[in-house]
Amino acid sequence: MADGIATIISSLGLSNEAFLAIVLLAFVVIGAIVVIVATRPILDIYPYLHPNARVRARKGRLFDEKQISELVEANNIDEISNYLRGSPDYAEYLDNYTLDKALDIQLGETYDLVSRMAPKEVQTSFKVMAKKSDITNIKSLLTAKEAGLSKEATEELLVPTGSLYDDLQRLSDVDTVTDVIAGLDGTEYAPILEEVLPEYEKTGMVLPLESALDKYYLSKLLASSETPSDENKQILYSYVGNQVDVANIKLILRAKVDGLDYDAISPYMIDSGYQLREWKLKDLMEAEDVTGVISSLEGTKYSDVLTDVLPEYNETGSVALFEKALDKFLVNSAKSYSMKKPLGIGPIIGFLSQKEVEVRNLKVIARAKREEDFPISKIREMLV
Amino acid sequence: MVDIALGTALAAIGAGVAIGFAGLGSGLGQGMAAAGSVGAVAEDNDMFARGIIFSALPETQAIYGFLIAILLLVFSGLLGQGSGLSDTAGIVAIGVGASIGFAGLGSGMGQGMAAASSVGAIVEDNDMFARGIIFSALPETQAIYGFLIAILLMVFGGILG
Repeated sequence: MADGIATIISSLGLSNEAFLAIVLLAFVVIGAIVVIVATRPILDIYPYLHPNARVRARKGRLFDEKQISELVEANNIDEISNYLRGSPDYAEYLDNYTLDKALDIQLGETYDLVSRMAPKEVQTSFKVMAKKSDITNIKSLLTAKEAGLSKEATEELLVPTGSLYDDLQRLSDVDTVTDVIAGLDGTEYAPILEEVLPEYEKTGMVLPLESALDKYYLSKLLASSETPSDENKQILYSYVGNQVDVANIKLILRAKVDGLDYDAISPYMIDSGYQLREWKLKDLMEAEDVTGVISSLEGTKYSDVLTDVLPEYNETGSVALFEKALDKFLVNSAKSYSMKKPLGIGPIIGFLSQKEVEVRNLKVIARAKREEDFPISKIREMLV
Repeated sequence: MVDIALGTALAAIGAGVAIGFAGLGSGLGQGMAAAGSVGAVAEDNDMFARGIIFSALPETQAIYGFLIAILLLVFSGLLGQGSGLSDTAGIVAIGVGASIGFAGLGSGMGQGMAAASSVGAIVEDNDMFARGIIFSALPETQAIYGFLIAILLMVFGGILG
């Protein structure tokens, strides 16, 4: 056999050493190809391993259905507070703040944590999400000043979280909404609010200011995820896009219940959503009523969600039914995204969505427990 | 310059491939498992012991590669007093190294991913420990196949014995 190989080598005009060198070179090339091909998936997975373990740890601490049920059956608000003191996530805030504020702080801190530890490629979107706390605080400040609240009462409304908290706290003692906007000079929110200030001055309502902030937040969130270059970013884009579409649909449905037309609604819309592009949104805004809006949505993934609750809406006339159905849709789609990429962005999205739902449900329960004899069955209905 | 027979030199390449690729797979796998474990420990101190267990799992591939590399070095005469290998046996030695090297690379990476995912599952739900270990142990089989074939090649290729 060795002789046969030697004959082949000599017929190729190669010396033994040259042949060996070629074989070794081929071996090195094959090895390099194997290494590159095999390690490529790891480069995608690696940045998510640490944050995923951390969010999954926090996900494990979220209340399960049984615990939520126990909270629903609590006798009063103190029992709720005591129950939450058993959770390390809420305990540290409950000693110093009211229940609602503690929940808001915890949610704000969660956004902040995720925005800090998310992999660089998707970090921008989570950083935008972390701005929610600032936007909520600015809204509270505007509402407080519009209502003429004192410095102390205004401070009470602010949630001590977010990057602008200290600045906003300093603005608590200004007198008017215009002063608040002037005080925000230098922040990204000043030009947004200044643009709609004339409308506020004309109507005396802070709604245009609040809507401008919401629109700015959602547009920025959508823009931050708009170049889905890999599967993780595609999932993030879908998750964010659903939120934008749902916000637009909710706004249109509310407007249609109030009988508003295209001209009245369009300034508040996010111009181009995810599945609902500009032309589709125009169709929806031009619809005659709620039923017309739902008909126009046919062919989109939101159609079934809304059609299912349409008979109940026709009976009760409550637009909250649609809102709850859309919120449920958001939770379910986030859950399905979280399972699509378990070693990628999935767990982060799944956790954030479930955390939002938990805080929201806890607030619903807390509010209900402040009322005298609020029916437990009604609380269960209100939960997402 | 030390005079080394061609077969022995080829066995040295085999030894390098064995520990090089197996170590690469093991290192990548262990890195992934450890990254997940650090995240888990950051949230829950009690996860330290379990994190160490899962991070240690992908170590085995490097151990297999190391063992094969040592055997090749000893029986090729590079270490100790043994006589050098024939050219043919030297080529077999490269196959030995490739066998455990590439098997260890794939196995180590796979185990690292499974271990990192298991750590995430356990930190979320403590009851997942046993199932996590089972799933993480599965990719070990490829390394065992590579190790067995490497031993068989050495025995029947005239390197061992």
